[in-house]
Amino acid sequence: MTPMVDLAFLLVTFFMLTTKFRPDEPVIVDQPSSVSQIPLPDKGVLMLTIDANGRVFFNVEGQQIRKDILARLGSHFNMTFDEKETKRFAVLSSIGMPMNKLKEYLNAGDEERKIMNLATKGIPIDSTNNELAIWVNSARKAAPRFSLAIKGDREADIPTIKRVISILQDNKANRFALITNLEGAPEAAK
Amino acid sequence: MSEVQQQEGSDRGGKHKKVRAKKSSTHVDMTPMVDLAFLLLTFFIMTTTFSKPKTMDITMPVKDNVEDKDRTKVPASQTMSVILTADNKVIWYFGQEDPAQPPVTSMATFSQTGENSIHKIILEKNALVNNQVKAVEDSVKRGLIEDKEDVIKAHKSAVKNAEKKGLIVLIKPDETSKYNNLVDILDEMFVCNVARYAIVDLSESEKELVKNTK
Repeated sequence: MTPMVDLAFLLVTFFMLTTKFRPDEPVIVDQPSSVSQIPLPDKGVLMLTIDANGRVFFNVEGQQIRKDILARLGSHFNMTFDEKETKRFAVLSSIGMPMNKLKEYLNAGDEERKIMNLATKGIPIDSTNNELAIWVNSARKAAPRFSLAIKGDREADIPTIKRVISILQDNKANRFALITNLEGAPEAAK
Repeated sequence: MSEVQQQEGSDRGGKHKKVRAKKSSTHVDMTPMVDLAFLLLTFFIMTTTFSKPKTMDITMPVKDNVEDKDRTKVPASQTMSVILTADNKVIWYFGQEDPAQPPVTSMATFSQTGENSIHKIILEKNALVNNQVKAVEDSVKRGLIEDKEDVIKAHKSAVKNAEKKGLIVLIKPDETSKYNNLVDILDEMFVCNVARYAIVDLSESEKELVKNTK
């Protein structure tokens, strides 16, 4: 039995070390599938998530960069974020809040945050209140080398997608990746 | 467990003290530990996802105030417009769109097979490039292409030349179409070796055209 147990523990260790626990995503997105084989890089991606209702969420990994982005957003909108809020922002995943609700969102508890995520309309993208442009701009300044990725739901409508792409183009980001599933992969795997 | 065994040993030890004291079992019962190990193993296997999301790179043109005369002109004979509309339907036509003379349009679907499959239509229209690419791939497989720089270059330029004469696709997603359709048609561009394609907005006359086709 000893060799088997050895093997079992070896595997346990392997899986424990390789598993990366996904932080709670506020939106569930069913990506379209494609034959493209290029994997998404592990690091250095600014991700814009667009869900089936056309709500836009923003995500980037790296606590330092997130803090930097928040500071830039704060200075643009004349808002100040205290240390607690900054820390909270750094550890959260995707954010889809208009600026006037961001403070409330950061101070809310986990449960309240879930409710807010369901109710939110995402980051505003319309031309009168184009907050996404400022998000993208701040992120590009905080992390100039990061590549851009759009993770859209298959049911997302084209006008929203076009609008987001046009905002990226306005920010001189003309190359970006569309995140897809491998063709034939089970749909449920997100 | 080990304690129990120890006690058993000492119980019997009363009778044959000398012999039993030496033989007392040093085995620890590992079963619970192994159970736990397998439980954890199953858990981690189940929760691990190895398939990473894939990406599709696209490059959009630089958004500058380009004047109409500076825009890239595309020869109408090579141009195919693909309009994506609601309910996963595709309207396509060849040539230039002209408000005065509406082009002859056809409908297609996203399925891979069947008469109206957009996949088949694009493959067919882009046969020139496809044949070239296929020929090169074939000779690579059979080992006919020498690993010399100039030989490889010649083949590459042959494909490039074919691409110049090949199909140009203008992808025009309608407001009612879904993101899924856009990704599907971009996918088709890769599969069918369409080297030149662009995502373009619909013109007014095309919007009319979509309305009338329904």
